[in-house]
Amino acid sequence: MEILEKGDAEFYFMDPDDFREYVRDRKNRNWEDKLMDESEAVRKFVDDGDYLAYDFSSLTRGPQSLIREIIRQRKKHLWICAKFTLLESVLLAGAGCVDRIDVGFLGFGPYIARKVQNGEVKVYDWSNGSITYRLIAGAMGIPFIPARDLLGTDTFKKSGALAVEDPFTGKPVALMPALNPDVAIIHVQEADIYGNARVYGPTVATLETAMASKKVIISAERIVETIEFRKEPNMTIIPYYLVDAVVHAPFGAYPGGTQGYYEMDSEHYLMLSSIREEEDMQRYLEEYIYSVDSHEEFLEKRIGVRKLKELVRKAQILEGYR
Amino acid sequence: MSYTDVEFMICQAARLLEDNKTVFVGWGMPQVVALLAERLYTPNITQVFEFGAIGPQSRTPFLRGTMGGPQNTYRSLQWCSMGLAFSYAQAGYIDYGMLGAAQIDKYGNINSTMIGDDYERPKVRFPGSGGGNEVASYCWKTIIVMNHEKRRFVERCDFVTSPGHVMDGKTREEYGLPKGTGPWRVITSKAMFDFDEETKVMRLIAVREGLSVDDVVNDMGFRPVIADDIKVLEPPTEEELRILRDEIDPYRLVIGK
Repeated sequence: MEILEKGDAEFYFMDPDDFREYVRDRKNRNWEDKLMDESEAVRKFVDDGDYLAYDFSSLTRGPQSLIREIIRQRKKHLWICAKFTLLESVLLAGAGCVDRIDVGFLGFGPYIARKVQNGEVKVYDWSNGSITYRLIAGAMGIPFIPARDLLGTDTFKKSGALAVEDPFTGKPVALMPALNPDVAIIHVQEADIYGNARVYGPTVATLETAMASKKVIISAERIVETIEFRKEPNMTIIPYYLVDAVVHAPFGAYPGGTQGYYEMDSEHYLMLSSIREEEDMQRYLEEYIYSVDSHEEFLEKRIGVRKLKELVRKAQILEGYR
Repeated sequence: MSYTDVEFMICQAARLLEDNKTVFVGWGMPQVVALLAERLYTPNITQVFEFGAIGPQSRTPFLRGTMGGPQNTYRSLQWCSMGLAFSYAQAGYIDYGMLGAAQIDKYGNINSTMIGDDYERPKVRFPGSGGGNEVASYCWKTIIVMNHEKRRFVERCDFVTSPGHVMDGKTREEYGLPKGTGPWRVITSKAMFDFDEETKVMRLIAVREGLSVDDVVNDMGFRPVIADDIKVLEPPTEEELRILRDEIDPYRLVIGK
């Protein structure tokens, strides 16, 4: 196959045979209780230098208690997959956890923009679709996936994609390298102690992200009995053998919302997204993350029952979410 | 009745959509366009969102920031994955796409990534493609909505995030993009453009009431083709403004003050 054009970015990649071997040897198929708290899960399964992926967004069903724990444990040199993201990249960059960002959507605001302008974090431009297709390839166990986006743009040139002549049609087509993250963190509405999990609402790439990743941490609003999955097997998004850790995290997506549970905290969100200066970011991180020991302490001492009650009251739309 | 530039653009865009079609809706202004169109002109349009909501009957008032949340995905026909949402578009099921842009060039290439000469050290950095690249690559007709400022209309974008008709001398089909797709209309705070069939250069087809062709062209960094018959864009109607202000965006988060 003739290579017509080549993007010049480095990209995170794993040979599908290496991934298969990892799955064979390291993915746990035992029905064992994987319940642990954020601190233990992140200590065990997030390493410095890991490629980190997460699912949904900081507005909705994002794994924010796990993001905060990664920051609290001062993980370093992460490469993150910002496929559909708003503030995770801002916080992780502010805390100095991140060196590199694969961009679908970088995240909001002048703070993260300046980190890129100063060269403090390196970005690789892809798009939400191409990164999602890469995860799909990673989940399928194939080395790349053909697609018809990125072509004819500078985004292509700054990505790690290739353009080749498609042997079937003779037309140019883009090839996206598979993406197999080291670790995925995913917030869900319901999981059992083994890691079976389901989400309600749109999924972005919940299953693909979990399936493609070497290590998977699930946080869940509610822990349910396994029989709940067997009663409605259509609803199971993630089967237990993809999962390494299950964290019971009520309000785990705060300041974002979780469908059927609570709305996002718009005020907190606005405050966070309007941070411009380094000292304001460091003050935020100190107050909301470093100075508390756990998600529970964060909710109790920094947010409070009154605010949480208000967010629960606002979540009145339940159709489709239970 | 006075109105903002954003209200003007939203109304023009809403009038362009067709009923019984599908539209890929991006974050922010396009959401408001789709809501207005649904209320007034295209009750049977199916909205598609990248995070995996198909055909929601979104609740109003529109709340900025709750894109994938219950308000905007209310009473959807289907909830699915992002891979599937984009695949609907890649397979040809999506008629219209709607995008904003920081810069546009005469072939409709758009930039939402960075301003400056040096990619490694941009003067200004934006969020990047998001799903914009896919919308511009896959939808049959892409509508671009942007403020009319000289610095935004450039000979060549500092960075081409999403494809137009021709880039660096090659057509989009030559690059392998799906046949028969591409930017279809550009709506600005001053005018509306399509693209010349032969040259694929942006062509001025209508101007805002009270403006001349020169008013529009002098505020551009390149010279568009000028259509023989220049139409006048009707201002927002009272009904459009009432629905926008009272029902869809009472906090004026998108439409402005």
